[in-house]
Amino acid sequence: MSDLAITAMQTEVTRERSAIGSLRLVQTACILVIALVIVSPLLMLVVASLKDDRFQILADMGSFRAFWVSNPTISNFAEVGNFSGELAFGRYLLNSLFILGCTVGAGLIVNSMAGFVLAWGSLRGRALILSLVIALYVIPQESIIMPLVIMVSRAGITDTFAVQIVPWIASPLYIFLFYQFFAQLPKELFEAAEMDGASVFRIYRSIFLPLSLPALATVSILMGIESWNQYLWPILVTQTDYARPIAVAIATFFGQDSIYWDRAMAASVLMMLPILVLYLAFQRWFVSSFVGSAVKG
Amino acid sequence: MTLQQPALPATAALVRPARRRDRSRLFQEIGMLAPAVVLLTIFLLVPFLLSFWTAMTNQPLVPRPTPVRFIGFTNFLRIFKDELFWTALWNVSRFTFWVIPVQCGLAFATALLLHQKLPFRNFFRGMFFLPAITSMVVVCVIWGTLFQYPTGPLNQVIGFVSGGRIQPIDWLGDPNWAMFSVVLLSAWQAYGFQMIVYLAGLQGIPDELYDAARIDGANAFQRFWHVTMPGLRPTHVFVLVITTIQAFKLYTQVAILTQGGPKSSTETVVHYMVRTGFEEQKLGLASAVSVILFLIVLVIALLQRQLLRRFDV
Repeated sequence: MSDLAITAMQTEVTRERSAIGSLRLVQTACILVIALVIVSPLLMLVVASLKDDRFQILADMGSFRAFWVSNPTISNFAEVGNFSGELAFGRYLLNSLFILGCTVGAGLIVNSMAGFVLAWGSLRGRALILSLVIALYVIPQESIIMPLVIMVSRAGITDTFAVQIVPWIASPLYIFLFYQFFAQLPKELFEAAEMDGASVFRIYRSIFLPLSLPALATVSILMGIESWNQYLWPILVTQTDYARPIAVAIATFFGQDSIYWDRAMAASVLMMLPILVLYLAFQRWFVSSFVGSAVKG
Repeated sequence: MTLQQPALPATAALVRPARRRDRSRLFQEIGMLAPAVVLLTIFLLVPFLLSFWTAMTNQPLVPRPTPVRFIGFTNFLRIFKDELFWTALWNVSRFTFWVIPVQCGLAFATALLLHQKLPFRNFFRGMFFLPAITSMVVVCVIWGTLFQYPTGPLNQVIGFVSGGRIQPIDWLGDPNWAMFSVVLLSAWQAYGFQMIVYLAGLQGIPDELYDAARIDGANAFQRFWHVTMPGLRPTHVFVLVITTIQAFKLYTQVAILTQGGPKSSTETVVHYMVRTGFEEQKLGLASAVSVILFLIVLVIALLQRQLLRRFDV
C-alpha cells in the first residue's frame, strides 16, 4: 500500500472518530439540559423550604437566588411539624405512614395468597376466577368512587383509617403479578412438598413465599407509591384531622387567599422525604417494579 | 390492558391422597382465596355494578324522604345535553393531543440517548425518574410557584431567552394557556416512567438485528427506522394507551391548581363528575358520568388489545 493510501485511511478513521466524538458531545449536552429541567424545580423546592420569609421566596424565584439560601433555617419545618392543632403536618405524615404500612402489609398477604391458590390450587373454577380478576383490572378507581363513597357513608365508617386502608388491600393487578410469579416456579417444588405431606398453606408459607422476594418487593413498591399518592379518595372520605393524610393537608394551602409558600414547601419536603430515602436505598428495585407493572400490566 | 397469561400449571396427582385430606386441602384453598375475593367483591364489583344502577336513578347525595326513582337513561341524556360535559371531553382531548408529543416524545428521545453508552447513564436514569415518585400534590406546590405571574421563574427564563420580546404569560390564569400549563407539569411528573418503559423496550431488541442491518449496509437512520421502530411497536402502543387513559382520569392537578377554570378551560371528565356528585349533590348524574368514563377506558383498552394482536406480539 502506498503511503498516500495509508494517510487517506487514517484521515478517514480520524474523521469518523471525531464525528462520533462530536455526536457524543451533543448527546451529553442534551442529557445535561434535561437534567437541569428535571432537577432544578426539585432543588428549588428544597432550598425554598429553608427560607424564612414567604415573600422573599417568591422574590428570589426570578433569579439564581432560588437555588441559594444564605442563612438556612428550619423554622418552616418547626412551624408545620406539629402533632396537634393547626398545621399538624407531623400528625398527617404519621397518618400517611400508618395507612401505607397497613395497606401494603395486608395487601402482600391477601394478594399473594390469592395469587398462589390461582397458580397452584386444585380448586375447580380457578381459571374462571383468574379471568374475572383480569377483567376487573380494567375498571378505573375513578369510576367506582361515587357508589363507594355512598357505601362507606351508609356504613358510617367515613373519617377513619380503615376506610382509607381496607378498600385498597385487594387489587387485580397485584393478584395477577403474584399469580404470574408463582406460576413460573418449577412444579417439582410443589410436588416434593406435597409428597412430604405439607398442607397447601404450609407449602405457600414455607416454600413459595420465601422464594418470592422479587414479587414481594415489586408489589410493596407499587402499592406503597399508590397509597402514598392517594388524593381523590381521602378528600372525599376524610373531614377532620384525625385520619387526614399529608397529601390532602398540603392541598389545603391552595384554598387560601394568599398562599403560604414557605409552609407549603416545608410540608412538601416532609412528604417527599420518606419516599426519597427509600428510593435512594432501593433505586434498582423501584425502576424494575415500574417496568414490571408496565410490561406485564 | 392486555395481560399475558401463562398456562395454568397442572397440579400433579402422583399420590392419591385420602379423601379427608382432599377436603381439608379444598377448605384451605378456599380460605386463602376468600379474603381477596370478598374484598374485591365488596369494594370493586359491587360499587361497579351499583354505578350502573345509580346512573339510572335520581339518587341524591344526602338521603331524602322522597323515595329514589328509576328514571332510565334520563341522566345520560341530561349529560349529553350539558355543554360543560362536552367542554370537559374536548379539554381532555386537547390535553392528550399536547401531552403525547411533549411527554412521550421527550421520554422516547431521552431513552434513545440513555441507551447509548454515555458516561453516568445509570445516574441520569435514576435522576430522571425522581419526579415519577413525587406525589402530584408536591408537584403542584412546585409548579404553582414556577407558574407565578408575572415574575415567576418560568416567565423569567422565557423573558431572558427571548431577550424580553415575549411578554410574561399568565400560565394558569389565561384560558388559552391554562391547559397547556397543566400539560407541562403533568409531562414533567410522568415522563420518567415512560422513559424507563422505552428503555426496557430498547433493551428488548436483540443486538443481532442491528449487526445484520449493518452488514446489509444500512446507515444509522435506516437502522433506526427499520430495526428500532418496528421493535418498539408494542412499547409505543402501550405508552400511547396508558397516556390516553391517564388523560381521561386527569383530576388532581386540575382540582388543586385551577378548579377547572379559568372559564372551564381545564374542566376534565373526572373533575366534572366529582363536582356534579359532591358539590351539586346529584349522585345519579355523577354515576352516569362514571359509567361513561368506564366505557371510554374499556374501549381504549380493547383497542390496545386489537392493535397488539395485529402486530402479532
